[in-house]
Amino acid sequence: LMLLYAVSTVAQDRKVTGKVVGVDNQGIPGVSIMIKGTRTGTTSDASGSFSINSKSSSDVLVFSGIGFKAKEVSVGGQTTLNVVLSEDVSALEEVIVTGYATTNKKESTAAISTVKAKDLTAVPSGNVEQQLQGRVTGVTVITNGQPGTSSIIRVRGFGALGGNEPLYVVDGVPVGSTDFLSPDDIESTTVLKDAAAASIYGARAANGVIVYTTKKGTKKARKLEVSYDGLIGFTDPNVAGAPKMLSPQEQADWTQQAYRNNAAANGTAVQYTHPQYGSSATATLPDYLYATGVGSGIRGSVDINALRAAYAANPGNTFLIKPNKAGTNWYDEITRVAPIQRHSLGFSGGTESSRYYIGLGVQDQSGILLANSFKRYSFRANTEFDLSKKVRIGENLQFTYRSVVGQAGGNNGLGIADSESEVLAAYRMPTIIPVFDEFGSYASTIAQGFNNPRNPVRRLMLNNSNDGNFNVNGFGNIYLEVDPIENLTLRSSIGGQYNNYYYKDYNYRYLGDSEPEASNSFSEGTGYSFSWVFSNTASYKLKVDKHAATIFGGIEALNTGVGRNIAGSGINPFSMDLDYVNMSVVQNPVVNSSLFSGVNFYSLFGKVDYSFNDKYYLTALVRRDGSSRFGANSRIGVFPAFSAAWRVTSEEFMKEIPFISDLKIRGGWGQMGNSNNVNPNNQYSLYASDRGTSFYPISGTNNGADAGFYRSRIGNPDAKWETAVTTNIGIDATLLNGRFEVVLDWWRKDTKDLLFQVPLPGVVGASASAPSVNIASMMNSGIDFQIINKGKLTKDLKYDLTWNSSFLKNEISSLAPNVSYFEGTTYRGISPIRNAVGQSISSFFGYEVIGYFASADEVKSSPAQDGAGVGRFKYKDLNGDGKITPDDRTFIGSPVPTYTGGVNIGLQYKNFDFSTYIYTSLGNKIFNMSKWFTDFFGTFEGSGKGVRAKDSWTPALGNSAQGPIWESASNLSTSGASNSWYVEDGSYLRMQNLSIGYTVPKSALAKLGLSRARISVSANNIFTVTKYKGLDPGVGGAVDTNFGIDVGNYPVTRSFNVGLNLGF
Amino acid sequence: LAQAQLSTKAGVEGSLLGAYAMLAGKGYTRFAGPNNWVYGSILGGDANKGTDPGDYTAINPIQRYEAPATDGDINGSWNAKYEGISRANTTIRLATASTELSDTDKKRIIAEARVLRGHFYFELKKIFNSVPYIDETKDYGTGIEKVANTPDFWDKIEADFKAGMDNLPETLDQAGRVNKWAAASYLGKTYLFEKKYTEAKAIFDQVIANGKTTNGKKYGLVAKYAEIFNAENDNHEESIFAVQTSMNTGSTNNSNAWDDLNYPYNTGANGPGNCCGFFQPSFSLANSFRTDANGLPLLDGSYNTGSNQLVNDYGVESNAAFTPDKGNLDPRIDHSIGRRGIPYLDWIDHPGKDWIRSQPYAGPYSPKKYVYYKTQENTLTDGSSWTRGYATMNYTIIRFADVLLMAAEAEVEVGSLEKAREYVNRVRARAANPSGFVTKAGKPAANYVISLYNTAWTDKAVARKAVRFERKLELSGEGHRFFDLVRWGEAATELNAYLAYESKFLVTMFGGAKFTSSKNEYLPIPQTQIDIQGKDILKQNPGY
Repeated sequence: LMLLYAVSTVAQDRKVTGKVVGVDNQGIPGVSIMIKGTRTGTTSDASGSFSINSKSSSDVLVFSGIGFKAKEVSVGGQTTLNVVLSEDVSALEEVIVTGYATTNKKESTAAISTVKAKDLTAVPSGNVEQQLQGRVTGVTVITNGQPGTSSIIRVRGFGALGGNEPLYVVDGVPVGSTDFLSPDDIESTTVLKDAAAASIYGARAANGVIVYTTKKGTKKARKLEVSYDGLIGFTDPNVAGAPKMLSPQEQADWTQQAYRNNAAANGTAVQYTHPQYGSSATATLPDYLYATGVGSGIRGSVDINALRAAYAANPGNTFLIKPNKAGTNWYDEITRVAPIQRHSLGFSGGTESSRYYIGLGVQDQSGILLANSFKRYSFRANTEFDLSKKVRIGENLQFTYRSVVGQAGGNNGLGIADSESEVLAAYRMPTIIPVFDEFGSYASTIAQGFNNPRNPVRRLMLNNSNDGNFNVNGFGNIYLEVDPIENLTLRSSIGGQYNNYYYKDYNYRYLGDSEPEASNSFSEGTGYSFSWVFSNTASYKLKVDKHAATIFGGIEALNTGVGRNIAGSGINPFSMDLDYVNMSVVQNPVVNSSLFSGVNFYSLFGKVDYSFNDKYYLTALVRRDGSSRFGANSRIGVFPAFSAAWRVTSEEFMKEIPFISDLKIRGGWGQMGNSNNVNPNNQYSLYASDRGTSFYPISGTNNGADAGFYRSRIGNPDAKWETAVTTNIGIDATLLNGRFEVVLDWWRKDTKDLLFQVPLPGVVGASASAPSVNIASMMNSGIDFQIINKGKLTKDLKYDLTWNSSFLKNEISSLAPNVSYFEGTTYRGISPIRNAVGQSISSFFGYEVIGYFASADEVKSSPAQDGAGVGRFKYKDLNGDGKITPDDRTFIGSPVPTYTGGVNIGLQYKNFDFSTYIYTSLGNKIFNMSKWFTDFFGTFEGSGKGVRAKDSWTPALGNSAQGPIWESASNLSTSGASNSWYVEDGSYLRMQNLSIGYTVPKSALAKLGLSRARISVSANNIFTVTKYKGLDPGVGGAVDTNFGIDVGNYPVTRSFNVGLNLGF
Repeated sequence: LAQAQLSTKAGVEGSLLGAYAMLAGKGYTRFAGPNNWVYGSILGGDANKGTDPGDYTAINPIQRYEAPATDGDINGSWNAKYEGISRANTTIRLATASTELSDTDKKRIIAEARVLRGHFYFELKKIFNSVPYIDETKDYGTGIEKVANTPDFWDKIEADFKAGMDNLPETLDQAGRVNKWAAASYLGKTYLFEKKYTEAKAIFDQVIANGKTTNGKKYGLVAKYAEIFNAENDNHEESIFAVQTSMNTGSTNNSNAWDDLNYPYNTGANGPGNCCGFFQPSFSLANSFRTDANGLPLLDGSYNTGSNQLVNDYGVESNAAFTPDKGNLDPRIDHSIGRRGIPYLDWIDHPGKDWIRSQPYAGPYSPKKYVYYKTQENTLTDGSSWTRGYATMNYTIIRFADVLLMAAEAEVEVGSLEKAREYVNRVRARAANPSGFVTKAGKPAANYVISLYNTAWTDKAVARKAVRFERKLELSGEGHRFFDLVRWGEAATELNAYLAYESKFLVTMFGGAKFTSSKNEYLPIPQTQIDIQGKDILKQNPGY
């Protein structure tokens, strides 16, 4: 080896210089220039110029640049080379990073999609995963408007009953979340969808793998390149789009109407008993809603001096509340026009034997909800050095500070839609209540007759403003690559992630609610986790005549994260002064901590790609995983996959069909594993101690309690992987000389051995977690379809159009013997979700509303129904037994969209570019639980109600009413049951982005000392077309078996940005 | 923790404490609380749900005797009781297998666990009647799910309490433990429910003569009725078997968490709790405290008619004038019911409608018995959660007055009416202690007229009626009434009369509701459990 090396260095070097230009004779920057068969190479500079040392006149230089056809030029005796590259019409040579290796579109036999880097940055979001929405076929993305939120990202359906998050791999290191990434640092994004692509990740591949690669710079001697990308803008909360609430007078009028309806239903005399609206049929509004001492409406004056004195003596408990007769728009009050800014600096460069990229990013975004904010500061340094011609060492490193304050909803914001958040509170707060009382305190429901909502402005401003919540994250890997012999590359990489979080949470005593918050409270907590991965791979390329093969193998060990958490809380410190409060000064401090040791994996994997004459391609791969997540009985899983492709256009007979430039037919089969959906302790039977469920003050004290134990888990040592068996058939075609590209995939994924916690009978003791057993199965199938059309309309007007389409069918195939369903969460007594065999995951279940009872006679003549009455829901007697029983419930919708798609249109006219992006989701239903609060008088009687009250049932409206009769009753026939009235069509189409940019012509750049300059304006979420009545149809949920319930979603709303991109 | 770590003495004791913890239904529905405020008191007509129609709607059908088998809280109650049984069984298994326990400790621990198990089965018996009986020999993997439900397990409950009576010491260091006499009292109660009056009498005779509390106090009645319901007196001489509650434990579950909703509404700092206006005493219960000129209750049921009915502020605004009832009343009314114009413990005079969430829906009264005093805020309440309503007042599952009245019942049935009268009078004498009356401005807050039964009881039916009515008055709101009505066979008559009366006022709540005989005596077996175990194992109760 040393000898070879020595020989090559003494060879006569010769400098070849030149310029790479396009057909328009403009220099092309960033073109890779490699001496064929070696690793020596360089890159063209901003003007397209290059310089390279050639060793021999037989050298062939390979010029390749993204978007251009590669070109090979023999050096011969030349020292100056001017090369013209033509644009690549097929992009088939595009390099696709698939995690451990790279491939290209031409040779790929698997279902793989890529996302352009610029698509990830088009809409500023706190989490890059959100930008996959509609950009990748076969990926379902359901997100919400909270900055920095997590989203539901599902690759090819919902494979299991839980743990369906895809595996994210960043620069070869698997991570649980990509929220630490700055979008401007990302070079490429690849989604591995089928087994043929993903099985190399074995036991964690079943939910698809999303591979991110960050920017690297290029190897060549050149000066530092600096780029700046920034945007600044704001998000509008869309107050006009919020559900309309009754005005104060309307609410009062409809309250009296409800009393009349109550009396009619009960056959009694009407009593107008509301403490605020007067005792006559015509409602009036009082002069004061509340003055300390008098809780019900005051008509006339109050003793203001006495109240002032009382306020001075006891400000926290003295209120004087005037009605806001114009009506408070609570949604308006809790929201704001929220600024956002994002700035990224990129520094890249290199020498002949090194390259580097340094990225600095900052994003500072306010949520549209008060006191809700997101901040991310990131630093990235990627470098690579050639230690010798055959040895390279490199590293990727990132530090991120990320802060999210005021986020609501479980699983990092994922569960916002079905949380009773402050958005719901804004609907529930009567419009007559002002935000502030006459003393400037927050006003609320201490005034009688408004039930129990709490002033959401107070909750957000007092309880969130001083909160803090951040994590600091170090992420990266270091790798060594060696080419011991020609065509063999050995790579060793060790990587990991360290995460440290801290939060503090202040909540303040407030006595102005009907259900007051009696104590000041404070909590804080912190924790860390550390995960690592050590991978070693070898790749050998072989080409013999027309046969080409790549043989790849690897060995990997990893831990998903060890760490600890500690959290404390307490109440009523002497003072809530921010400089004073800590866990040492609160009363009743409670401290909890926990530890986790992660899951170890040990894996072996291998892959062979074979191709014949660029015509036939075969790939076989296998991975063997061992995981500590499972018991010793079944720790090892083996996941094989096979795929093949036939490049039809390589056949002679296809040459006759000129409009087909390229056509490839692919097919693949394989198995992938999923182990997310099981607790690592599932293998053990365990006992636990818990303050809330097993402590007991046995000594008879009133202070403190003694620890007790209970059985917390029944183990199953035999649990093993869930296995997804996938089949994929696809076509890749390039038509009309590159004007059209089509990718079509039909796929089916059957997940067997699904881990399911078969419900334990209560007699076993319900505090014990049931063991997960491999018993259920699920089917997903779909069609993914992508069409890209691009071309020139005139000499100066170029266009490109991308249409991504995904059809999805999801069905639970089986659960367990004798188990045909399990239910989701209960919301205010309603259980809308049933996960049942033969239905999609998270299907809605309930009575079918066939109208409203028109008369007492109709009530009598209809099947017996609990709580039936005039103007109430009339349910369908499905089984025809003459009575409405739980057996008459049926499936009334599914939140899983049957179709999702996105259309991206780009136009370029001279230096102007224009693009727009439209996303659509069709066929999904939403269970609009927020109507339970706003559309019935009897649900928390007196709280804020929506304008649909005015279309509630009357004899005149009959079945065209929007809801049942306005009355107090709350039972099975009114608000008390899951039924089809709550279910709405959640389909929508949203124009997510519209942007116009201007690129400063190169001629002008020189004067400015710039290599690149573009200015743009964009608008996001411009409009949404939907029939859904709630605030936003993007309704997710925290878990797969329980989503699509809208209790008050955090909406995705319109935003406007100005962007600037500069290169120096 | 693995099972091996629990085989030490501390481990077995901890497992036993885990079983004790389930007395409070910790971690399960509020309905699973030990005081049976829904199943015993609301279904028994002592109180209604309270609050407004749209709040906690799951109770609406239950209080109308329309409980659906699919109800989640009923399922939660089932699970809570079986969790208790499971922990008791685990404790018995661990204790039996443990080599580190002394024989004395082993005997005691197993006996304690058996008393707890007996209690949970007693609860299941009262609520569901027919349930699977599972002892320590069956567990997950050994056929536990194949045990069918049956109503016939009184003998097993007897055996557990008998074991407790025979094996437990009279006193123990820790006041929260069950002792010999708690087990004996419960055994007597079991006999009473089985209508084995002779056996019941025999046991009660011993308990009354010799019984003492775990902390060594001879059983007796506290001097003032209100002292029973005061956290400062926890584990008093009347406390036979109590659920211990506490603050500063890191979880409000160790307080009276099952009652956190059961406070007057919108009281601000003037009243206890914050929330939520549940568990409002009924019109009928309030009227029941009417006494005649002799200071005796209206046993003929006329309390719900004419001028016997209590004057109340139903439909009267808090800022409108109101004069409370001036007629003769049993003084226990103002320890049991919060009503307008009467001091609400040491808070303010109950202001009426201002403290009621929806008076038209649920009536004018507030709960009062297990409510804490103003002076106890933050010293005997746990303020660490969303409401202030986490009292730390022991709930007494069996108190001595209850034993006296149960003994009186047994005496009536075996024919010793005068002995019964003596017991009843003992209870009434305490109630009549004038120093225990609620006072306002130094004078009794209402016209309290109460006396003993001074005439000999000669008619068994009359005596029976008097004993049963005394039970209603003495133990109102403590979770007994419904189960008493059912075992007396009076549920249908009493409760349909109750519904007819209450629905004159509370139309939305009770209009059209009725109690169906041979069905509503028991709740439905939770559908969820039938679905899991199969219809062939768990048979639904009749009528559901």
